[in-house]
Formats: sequence, C-alpha cells, structure tokens
Amino acid sequence: MLLTIDRLSIAYELADGRELEAIKDFSLTLERGRIAGIVGQSGAGKSTIGKAVLGLLGENARISGGRILLEGEDIAGFSERQFGAIRGKRVGYIYQNPMTALNPVLSIGEQLIETIETHTDKRGTAARSYAVELLTGAEVSHPEERLTKYPHQLSGGLCQRIVFAIAIAAQPDLIIADEPTTALDVTVQKAVLGTLKRLAAQENIAIVLITHDMGVVSQMCDEVYVLLRGQLVERGPTMQIITAPQERYTQELMAAIPSVEQRRARFDVLDAFEETPGRQRGIDYLRAGTVALAHGDTMLAISNLSKTFTGEKGGAGFKALDSVGFAVRRGETFGIVGESGSGKSTIGRAILGLVHPDPGAIIALDGHPIGQENRQALSRKLQCIFQDPYASLNPRMDAGTNITYGIRAAGLVPRKHAQRLAEDLLEVVGLPRAAATKMPHAFSGGERQRIGIARALAYRPGLIFCDEPTSALDVTVQAEILNLMKELQDSLGLTLVFVSHDLAVVRQMCDSVIVMRAGRIVEEGPAEQVLTEPADPYTRQLLSAMPRFLRSAAAS
Amino acid sequence: MINFVLRRLGQSAILLVIMSLLVFVGMYVVSDPVAVMAGEDATAADRAALAAAYGLDQPLPVQYLTFLANIVQGDFGTSFVYGRPVLDLIFERLPATLEVVFLAMVLGLAFGIPMGIFSGLNRRKPATRLISMITTIGYSIPNFWQALLFILVFAVWLRVLPATGRGPTTDFLGLQLSLFNAEGLRYMLLPAANLAVALICMQTRLARSGTQEVMYQDYMMFARAKGIAPRRLIGRHLLRNILIPIVTITALELGTLIAFSTVTETVFSWPGIGKLLLDSIYRSDRPVVVAYMILITLMFVLINLAADIIYAVLDPRIRYS
Amino acid sequence: MSAIKRLSGPSRIDPFLVPFRHYPAAIAGLVGICVFTLAAILAPLIAPQNPFDQGQLDIMNGLLPPMSEMMDGSVSLLGTDAVGRDILSAVLYGMRTSLLVAIVAVSIGMVVGVVLGLVAVMRGGWVDAVIMRAVDLTVSFPGVLLALMLLAVFGSGVDKVILALAIGIWAQNARMVRAVGLSEMKKDYIAAARIGGLGDLRIMFHFLLPNAISPVLVLMPMAISGAIVAEATLSFLGVGVPITEPSLGLLISNGNDYLLSGRWWISVVPGLVLVLMVLSINVVADRLRDHANPYLQARG
Repeated sequence: MLLTIDRLSIAYELADGRELEAIKDFSLTLERGRIAGIVGQSGAGKSTIGKAVLGLLGENARISGGRILLEGEDIAGFSERQFGAIRGKRVGYIYQNPMTALNPVLSIGEQLIETIETHTDKRGTAARSYAVELLTGAEVSHPEERLTKYPHQLSGGLCQRIVFAIAIAAQPDLIIADEPTTALDVTVQKAVLGTLKRLAAQENIAIVLITHDMGVVSQMCDEVYVLLRGQLVERGPTMQIITAPQERYTQELMAAIPSVEQRRARFDVLDAFEETPGRQRGIDYLRAGTVALAHGDTMLAISNLSKTFTGEKGGAGFKALDSVGFAVRRGETFGIVGESGSGKSTIGRAILGLVHPDPGAIIALDGHPIGQENRQALSRKLQCIFQDPYASLNPRMDAGTNITYGIRAAGLVPRKHAQRLAEDLLEVVGLPRAAATKMPHAFSGGERQRIGIARALAYRPGLIFCDEPTSALDVTVQAEILNLMKELQDSLGLTLVFVSHDLAVVRQMCDSVIVMRAGRIVEEGPAEQVLTEPADPYTRQLLSAMPRFLRSAAAS
Repeated sequence: MINFVLRRLGQSAILLVIMSLLVFVGMYVVSDPVAVMAGEDATAADRAALAAAYGLDQPLPVQYLTFLANIVQGDFGTSFVYGRPVLDLIFERLPATLEVVFLAMVLGLAFGIPMGIFSGLNRRKPATRLISMITTIGYSIPNFWQALLFILVFAVWLRVLPATGRGPTTDFLGLQLSLFNAEGLRYMLLPAANLAVALICMQTRLARSGTQEVMYQDYMMFARAKGIAPRRLIGRHLLRNILIPIVTITALELGTLIAFSTVTETVFSWPGIGKLLLDSIYRSDRPVVVAYMILITLMFVLINLAADIIYAVLDPRIRYS
Repeated sequence: MSAIKRLSGPSRIDPFLVPFRHYPAAIAGLVGICVFTLAAILAPLIAPQNPFDQGQLDIMNGLLPPMSEMMDGSVSLLGTDAVGRDILSAVLYGMRTSLLVAIVAVSIGMVVGVVLGLVAVMRGGWVDAVIMRAVDLTVSFPGVLLALMLLAVFGSGVDKVILALAIGIWAQNARMVRAVGLSEMKKDYIAAARIGGLGDLRIMFHFLLPNAISPVLVLMPMAISGAIVAEATLSFLGVGVPITEPSLGLLISNGNDYLLSGRWWISVVPGLVLVLMVLSINVVADRLRDHANPYLQARG
C-alpha cells in the first residue's frame, strides 16, 4: 500500500486556548497509480487532510491522533526537516488556485528549474531542457517561451499546467491535488483534468483528489471518501457512491446535484417552510405589489446592446458586448449562459444602470425605454440578487436594516413598520424573525443569500436579475436557494433573468436561454432545446465539457 | 516605461511651479519684505528706493515671473546674513548632510531587515518579543530627545565620543567628507546613530509585517510543498517579495532622513543644510529659506520618481504605460 | 473554518477590550493613556503652582534639583528651572498643550481627509484627480518638514502649529480612505444601494463611510502620538508653540542649555514624560493595528 491514513485526527488550537477537532478518525488507503477522491462541502476539512500528508499544517494545528503511513513509514510525527525529503520528491502538491500558487515575482522558468535542481542531479542546460520536456508533457504550448514569463502573464489554465509540471518534476509516487480545477472555466477544466489523468497514468502516480465537485469525482476517481464536518461518512468505489449511496448525507448530497439531462420541479432536500402568520403577511405584502398582468407579454426587451470598455490611452477598447438583443416574457425565467469573460454579467450591469452601454442600445421595460435618470422609480420594477453573498450586504447594518433601508429611504414603507416588514420578509425567505437584528457576519453564505433575496423582494419588483446567485455556495445550499427561488416565483409570478456558468443549474431553473461567447449571442431558444439538442458548436462544446454526473448514464 | 518617466517628470515640473508659487506667495506677499529689510525707522523714500532696487514696485505677476526666471537660471539670490549666493551656501553644506544620511541608511538596513525577517519568521520566540519591545521604545523616543540623551550619555558621562560639531574631513572626488577619516567618523557616529534609530525601527517593522504577510501567501505554501530548501525559500521566494516594499519605502525614507537631519544637525551642531535652514529661519534669512524649500521639493520629486521606477523594475506585475 | 468562528462565539468581555486580552504591555499602555489624559485635564487642580503666574515664581527658587525645599517651605518633587518654576507643574501644564495640539490637529486632519477621500471615491473623474494630486503634493514631504516650512512662512503659534500638522495628516487619511473606498465601491452591496435608487449622499455616509473608516480609526492613536512628537520637535526647534504656552517640547528645549552643566532634570523630566506618553499610545496603537491585521490572527 502506497498511502495509508489510519484513524487520523487533527486539532486546531483556538485563540482562547481551546481545541477544535477539525478531522476525526479519518482513514484512507491508496495503491500506486490509483486516484482517490475526498469529497465534502466547505468547512468539511478536506484540505486539512491533504496538508497533513505533506506536513503543511499551520502552526496552530497538530495531529492529535492516528497515523499517516507512506510506504509503511509513519510520517505523522515527522519534523520539518524530515518532510523536506518527502515534499516534491515523493509527494507532489497541486494547489487550488494556480494564479496564487506561483510566486508572482519569479519567472516560470526559475520556479520550475529550482524544483528540478532540488530533486534531480540535472543542472544548467540539462535542467532547462528537462523543464521544457515537462512543460511539453503537461501540454503547455510554446514551452521555451513560457519559461521567461511571469505568472500574471499567463491564463489560469496554463498556470495550472505549469503547476502540474512542477508537481511531477521529481516523478513522485503520490500527488495531493487540492481542488485543482475549481478556479477554472468548464471547458478549460475538462482539458486540464484530462492532462492530469494522463500524466498520472503515464508515470504510475497515485492521486488524492480533494474536491467539492461530484462531476470532477466521476470523471477522475476510482474510489470516493465522503467527508462531513471532519468525519468520514461513507467510502466506496465511485460508481457505487454515485448510484447507490448508503448514508443519508450522501444521498442528500447526490440529490442536491443539478442535472443537465432532466428538469425536476424541485431538489429533494429538507427545506420545508413553516407557514406562520408572519410569512403569510410577507407573502401578502409581496403579492399586493405585483400588478396582475397576463403572463407571456414581453416584459424586458433589449436590442443593439453593446459595451466597449476603453483600454489604455490610445489602445483599442475591449468589446465586452456586441449588439446583443433579446426579449424576456413576463413570468418566465430567462437564462444567460457563458464562461467567464463572455459578457453575461455585463448585460445585467447595463440593464441595472451600473455601466453605461454604448450609444444606440435600447433597453425597454414594459414597453418604456429606461434611461439613467429615474433610478428611484426603476428600483421598484427591477432588482438584483448578487453572486458573492459575502459582499452583497452592507457589513455595518443589521439584516433587517439591510432589507428595508432602500424602501424606507424611498418612502415605500413608514419607519415604524419597517422592522415588522423586515421580519416578515425574513420568514418568507426561510429565516427566523430574530435574524433581523443580527449583523451580516453572523450568517453563513446561504443565509446571507436569503437576506439578499429578501432585500430584492422588498421593493416588490416585477423583474429580478439573478447574477450567478448560487455559484459561491455549496451544492446542498445551492439546492435550497434554488428551491426557494422556484417557490417564490410560483407564488408571486416573478420574472427572473438568471445568469450562470453552470448549464445544469440553468437547465433546472430556466424556460428560455441564450448562450454567450465573447460578447455575442451564439445560440438562443427554449432551455430544453438548447441544452439537449444544441445547434451551435460552442454550445455543444460547453455541454460536452461539463463534468457529467454519471448517475443517469450508470443507471441506464 | 520611458513614457511613464517623461509624464512623471512633466507632473513634477508642474509640482515645482506650484511649490514656487506657494513659497512666493508665502514669503513675498504674506509679509512685506521691504518692511523687514528697511527696519522700523525707515522713511517712505527709503522704502520706495528699496522696493525699486529689489523690483518690489512691479505688479505681483511680474515679480513672480522674475522670481521664477531667476530660479530657472540657478539664481536663488544672495543671503542677507552671509552676503553670498545662496546656492553656494547650500552646496557647500550638502555633503555633510548627505554623508550622515548615508551612514544612517546603511545602519538602518543592516540592522532593520535581518531583525524584521527574524521576528516575522519566529513569532513566538523570546528574541522576537525583545526586538518588538526595542522597536516600540525606539519608535516612541522623539528624535531630538534621543539626541540629547546620546550627548548626555556618550559625551558627558562616558566621554567616549565628541558631543557636537564636525571633525576633520578628507577630500573625496572634490567633496569634503568625514566618512573616510577615523577622527571624522567619531564625530559622525552620534548624529548618524541618532538618525538611524527611527529608521531601524521602521525597517524592522516593515520587514516583519512583510514577512508575515508573504509567509501566508499560497505561493509560499506551494514552494514549501515543492520541497525546496528553507534557505532558498527564505533567500529567494520570501526576500524577493518583501524587498519590493522595503526598497521602495527605503527610497522614500531617504526623504524623511533628510527632513529629520534638520533636528539632528541642530542638536549636534552639524554643519549641514538642515542646520542652515533653521539658522536662516531664526535670522529671517529669506533667500536661503526659499532656496532650501525649492531645492528640497526638487529632491523629493526625484526621490519619489526613483521609488516608482525601482518599484516597477523589481515587480514584474507593474508595467507603467 | 467556519466551525471555529461559531465555536469561539460570543464572549462576555467588552468588545472594546478584546484586542487587549493577554497583552499586559497594551493594558499598561491603556492605563498610561488614562493617567496622562486625566493629569492633563486636571492640571490646574493638581499642580502645586500655576507655572505661568509670574506672581507665584521666585527667582530664588531657581535651578533647584528634585526633592528640594523651596523658599516657602514646600518641596519641589521634580526640581525647578532657571526662573524658579516648579518642573512638575510646568510638565502638567505642558502636557495639556501637547495633547490639545495633537488631538485637535489629528481631528481636523481626519475629518477633512475622510470627507475628501470619500468625495474622491464618489465623484471620480477630475474631482478625484485634483484631490489626489493635492494628496501627492502633501505626502511627498515628511510631515515634520512640511510643518517646519509652513511655520517658517506663516510664523509660529498654537493655531498655526495645529494647522501645519493637520495639513500633513489630512492627506494620509484621504489616501487611505480613498484606497479602501475604491475597493468597497466595487462590492455588490454598493451596487445594491444604487439599484435601490439611493442618493449619493446616503451611499457615501451610510454605506461607504462606515465600511471605509476602520483603517483610519485603527491608525488614529498612531497619528496622535506622531502629532505629539511632531509638535514637540517643532517647539524644541523654536518654531512651534509660543513661550507663553510651553508644551513638553519647549520645556525640553529650555532645559537643554543646562543639560551639559549637570542640571539634567530640567530637560530630562519633561522628556521622560513625553516618551512615556508617546510609548503608552504606541503600545496601544500597535496592539490595535496587529489586532486588525488578518495575517496576525489565528488561522484555521
């Protein structure tokens, strides 16, 4: 056995002297050339295990029990010096964010060659040509030229390939890959994972793959370990975990994963609402605001929307949007899909008045073109739910004030009723009334996102723009939020414009969809059609690049 | 890069013009130089004659332009007190200031950076606590009082170093310096140490916080995970990163040292430009004060520009366009 | 490690005191600040004599060392200066001037700097450019030199010293607030406020200000101790406060002439008080700054 982790426990020392067991009795076995996945949501302690194998735990963490056997030798108690002989040489490391894993002020060549010179006897030109060989192996184009570059001059995908080259430079037996593709776009992710898998097979390297993404697991792993709050919930062959999970937590985890193949009414997670008088009052308030208009009319019409960001002086501008036009009908969920840099968020920022589009654009809401002047009136028709729950609430206001500050300033609700309204709305989005007086930092990401939804709803808008509302959340939390949004849409008749990079989420949420690439719409149509029988080659590429969650394939 | 330097030089020129305007307004408008020069019992005719002699009867904009034109030609006027061209006075004293500042800089870097990196790397060692205590105390003792203590301890009580003045100098490339003269160096030690204390504390803190910050970066963990030797980890990965702020701020600190040399030189009677400035302020020797301000502005402009250029050279992420 | 945050949860210690737990030096500093501030405020009540009342001075009491008996039979704890002024009284009154100048200068500099910094962020464009060029102009000079030059031009006096120091301080605050403000402006809660139709003033004071001001507040003690030292330096050089309202710096300067003749107390006593005062503030300031620095907090 190459790696055996035997009932490993890791404790963190807290500032007040108490200890927190971050990992408890975790065991794992891994043979040469195999890939084991450690899956869990944020805070589950996945990365801690990977760091422990390399002796990279912080100074406030210690191994409080168990063994880590590398080829039979217990390395759990190794000193920093002893780990020096293991790191890079016998165990390679691939870090989550390739852009920050490389030293920004040293050239790629120096960082690669120093690793080679540390672990092999190659020096000078021999080391250099080996570096080129490694880069070629990691499918880096123009390897010679890249050696003189600095990390910020290269894309995330390229940086990750360089990290691969560094990790396998000394031909280690084992690689710890900590969320290796989380920071990358889906098309890049697939290719990068492919390279990693090929390199591992070629050199007979075993991999411990740490990830939150079941798609990545199903593409890569032989065996899966499911982790919940530092404890192993379930382990087994990948196919078995995906198709027939035994434990309740694993089952819920699987149920929460959106599928691109079929649309379901709701995710099968525990999130029932308690029907209270406050919640009913909140729903009534919201319903009273939305004027009953026939579903199906055009609500938002956009034509000739372009946005050029002016570059450096004299330099050509960057065209983020190029003559985009589409129409959103009342009551539907309209999806905008694309990778980073496709311009999908810029559309929203233009509609919301946060960026000024190029002249000639027409954005009409209910048949009236909207300009920049009457933002206050517009705020009652158009609201937004943001991507990053940690940045979307004012950290210096309690939750209730965050929700009602705007409508109070606009005179939509008298001061004395604001508090009760905030509490009602919190119940509408599934939070307790008492949450109103807590500050944002007291909430988790999912809870903050609910507060953000309540704030948008408070204006009683007809249209809500949702900018990747769940991409920063864990998959089970995502399922809860998506369920909430569906429920609200059903009961309030909201129109949603839903921006996402995740095709499966779009499939679950949207009625019609446009696919964006480099500022242009490449395909549009009903969601079902676009996502099952794509006409455009780019859409097909996106779909095929999606780390496919194999449940249906395996079941059939 | 060249464009950037040119643009910055252009901005600097504007800055200098603004500064000259402020100095002009301050010196020539706020108070009446004729009254200052003529004294209290001068007659109206005397005043008029004086005003005409110095061109002070001209309209203000004309006066300012004359003032500016003279400066551009290197004519800062003549000292009231010494009766000599101001520029000569300043350049005569500049080497004395620069050599003390230089020595202080060397001391600051030689002690500050190693101490800072050590405390950044070893947060929990007793030596780190000691360093942190020393820097906090050093930081809290005002420069001038420290100078007094130095004199009291080393010159009055221990009698090992001279209290004030500048010792013998030797000629070096046409400059009169004490740096290469054992006796001269003895005179220089206290003023230089006085300037260096604050700098050492500053550099220690800078290197410490830089080290702590960089050590937590992902790339440091990744570099450790690569298995490279600790010496290279510290000597290359860490140092290369913290050197960027240190070198940049050190360049700016040069300006602070020149500023504080006014205090140090005054206490130690060191004949540099700082002492010249204060003497001139006491004696209302306006031409000297004006020249000092314009020249010091020029010096700071160049130092700031140098800091920006060094920053760009050291950090590959910065490319001025 | 969200689990850790949850565990460490609420504590019963006053949130203001949290940064000082387990840091005896910082607590000592806090006590020092209280003692010095109280002593300065209560100076007229606790000082043995009013050092500025010529009638209370007697030249026969001149240059007495500490613990000497004065002509009227009372004991001068810390000695007297050349004109028979009790050093302890002079120091107590000197602290008043020193603290007053520093606090007023920092307050003015802070308010002006923060408002201009916020305006630069909100308005952008040429307003931002003008404000920031003015900041660049000011910060390219070390504070003491800038003040020295301003005082050389405009003459000395308490009001002028305050102004000269504030001019050095506003720029740093404006720069800091602008830097933080710009990064806050990119955050979605500001976008949400804009989408909600809120006016610029509301956004500026209810959204931007509370979120951008903490670095300014954290560095405020440091700014105050810096201003105390700067004022002392200027007064020591003779361009600061007038002889009628001597601050600690001026007292040190007055005693300077007697230092070499062995009458150290005239200069050393006000100097020690100055150092202890500055040290108290700096120890507290350091702790606050370290506490606010995420790199120094325990990491999970």
